[in-house]
Amino acid sequence: MRSGAEIALSLGVVALGIGVAAVTATLPSEGGYAGIGPNFVPAVVAGGVILLGLWLSVEAFAGGWRKLPEAEAPFQASPFLWVSGGLGIHMALIGSAGFVLAGTVLFACVARGFGSKRWARNVAVGIVLSIAIFLFFVKLLNVNLPAGWLQPILGAAGI
Amino acid sequence: MEALTALIDGFGVALKPMNLMWGFIGVTLGTFVGVLPGVGPALTVAMLLPLTVKLDPTGALIMFAGIYYGAMFGGSTTTILLNTPGESGSIATAFEGNRMARAGRAGPALATSALGSFVAGTIATILLTLLAPLVVELALKFGPADYFALMVFAFITVAAVLGHSTVRGLTSLFLGLLLGLVGIDSQTGQARFAFGVPELLDGVDVVVLAVGLFAVGEALYVAAYQSRFQATIERVRGSLLMSASDFRRSWPAWLRATAIGFPFGTIPAGGSEIPTFLSYATEKKLTRHPEDFGNGAIEGVAGPEAANNAAATGVLVPLLTLGIPTSATAAILLGAFQNYGIQPGPLLFQTQTELVWGLIASLYVGNIMLLVLNLPLIGIWVKVLEIPKELLYAGILVFATLGAYSLHQSWVDLATLYIFGLLGFLMRRWDIPVGPAVIGLILGPLAETQFRRALSISQGDASVFVTQPISATLLAITVLLVIAPWLVRRFRRTSS
Repeated sequence: MRSGAEIALSLGVVALGIGVAAVTATLPSEGGYAGIGPNFVPAVVAGGVILLGLWLSVEAFAGGWRKLPEAEAPFQASPFLWVSGGLGIHMALIGSAGFVLAGTVLFACVARGFGSKRWARNVAVGIVLSIAIFLFFVKLLNVNLPAGWLQPILGAAGI
Repeated sequence: MEALTALIDGFGVALKPMNLMWGFIGVTLGTFVGVLPGVGPALTVAMLLPLTVKLDPTGALIMFAGIYYGAMFGGSTTTILLNTPGESGSIATAFEGNRMARAGRAGPALATSALGSFVAGTIATILLTLLAPLVVELALKFGPADYFALMVFAFITVAAVLGHSTVRGLTSLFLGLLLGLVGIDSQTGQARFAFGVPELLDGVDVVVLAVGLFAVGEALYVAAYQSRFQATIERVRGSLLMSASDFRRSWPAWLRATAIGFPFGTIPAGGSEIPTFLSYATEKKLTRHPEDFGNGAIEGVAGPEAANNAAATGVLVPLLTLGIPTSATAAILLGAFQNYGIQPGPLLFQTQTELVWGLIASLYVGNIMLLVLNLPLIGIWVKVLEIPKELLYAGILVFATLGAYSLHQSWVDLATLYIFGLLGFLMRRWDIPVGPAVIGLILGPLAETQFRRALSISQGDASVFVTQPISATLLAITVLLVIAPWLVRRFRRTSS
């Protein structure tokens, strides 16, 4: 069975290898006593990636990748996007809004992605968990995490 | 004898109240996270790595050993009660373990797995204590060329020989090697593949890769393909105690499994998948109750669980004495060492005696703690299994992003984490193993260093790799491993 996804992935690996080779060409080659420089191993890796991509392509065109298990169920876009979106918002928010708020949003989005529509419960659990993790890391382990917009409240609590 | 005095000193370190406490926190957290369905030992170790950044190296590594062992113990509870093995080393346990649970014998299944893990873990730790100094002796004779050959051997067995497909295993390995190139070249200071991004100059952190592939990738995969399914948890009914007959049937299996698991752990054979299946097959063949197999035979739980733990301890032999990780989990542990500027290997046993023997001694202590933690307190861990899936994955991702963010306090690491998550999703869906990528990332830069060091010594003469006896032997075995299966197939075809 020929599959478009397998062909695309295989060619993607080839393209990655070519990209690595292009970057490698810009690296210096002088290497002192060893006779090889910082570009030698990247060149080997680039060659390997291209060859593996070609090997995968051959399998993909000739009957598909070998011994591949079937998908367990049809792909569902909406849960995938909820999880991805949650991670995206978290990434954008954490610097300004802080760890607790960003974490709560992430928590609620991922829970929604897994099919839960109990927003109130999910937000509540998310906020309690985020605050617990925040306190544990900042207070006990001295790891620095951003308090963000909650600084006045978390600060007033002596943190 | 020397090992014995070193070990006694090690106990002096491991039994310090602070270190006991770190060990206890480690085994507890390791068990807790290990019990979570879908979270294997590799992810457990990677997710909990950020906890240790501000600890002293000895305390941190003792905690880490506890997390590693705890994750193993915790994983078996999930396997037996939920039938969702968190890692390949638990698949064999699931066959009989889950059937025992369904037949109302979850208690004895959990007991034999906890006791078996304890017995195997302790015997394997004794073997580690005895074997490590011998391997160190040998390793001190290794030159850069020999190390390089050993690493190539590890790459090939982990990527090409194991798994469903040689080409997909190698693709994963090369992705890891490529990611390992990112950052500043240790020999010349040249920046490579960093594209001017300051966060990339430090290189790709193993935590970000492992958590991205295992946690984010897994969450995306489960959300997209399995979010409708809800697994059924088997209740722990009746007695936790093993009957006399359970015990009679279990203990020989524990011992045989230790004998199978430990050697497999010490060679680069990808950790615990092969020994657990071998142990299962052995017990099935030797049993006096063949009718029980398929209906919940206790030997079929006792053996693979013990083999899993023995292999997990065996993996520490090449990790500590040679600095070679032979499983994804070991690669992450090696990353933890490197965070402290410690490079495991024979010199570690000479320069950091206290740390290394303290760590080994803490393994004995950790095993005892885990037995206490798992048998009487099993009820608590069963509760953990009842966390609904949506809250479980949401919590995992909050924790996963924390680890990546705490590296540089930068969103760039979160973006990298998500890219690795997408990669992990694709790899999971199209059956590309993720272990070789993690090993490639950690071992690749070490292999490059040894390769260039060897060539520097030989003034650029590449024949060093085949003229030095240790290196030549290792490379010959590697070539044989690659071509032997092909030759056998060829031979069979012509003879038939």
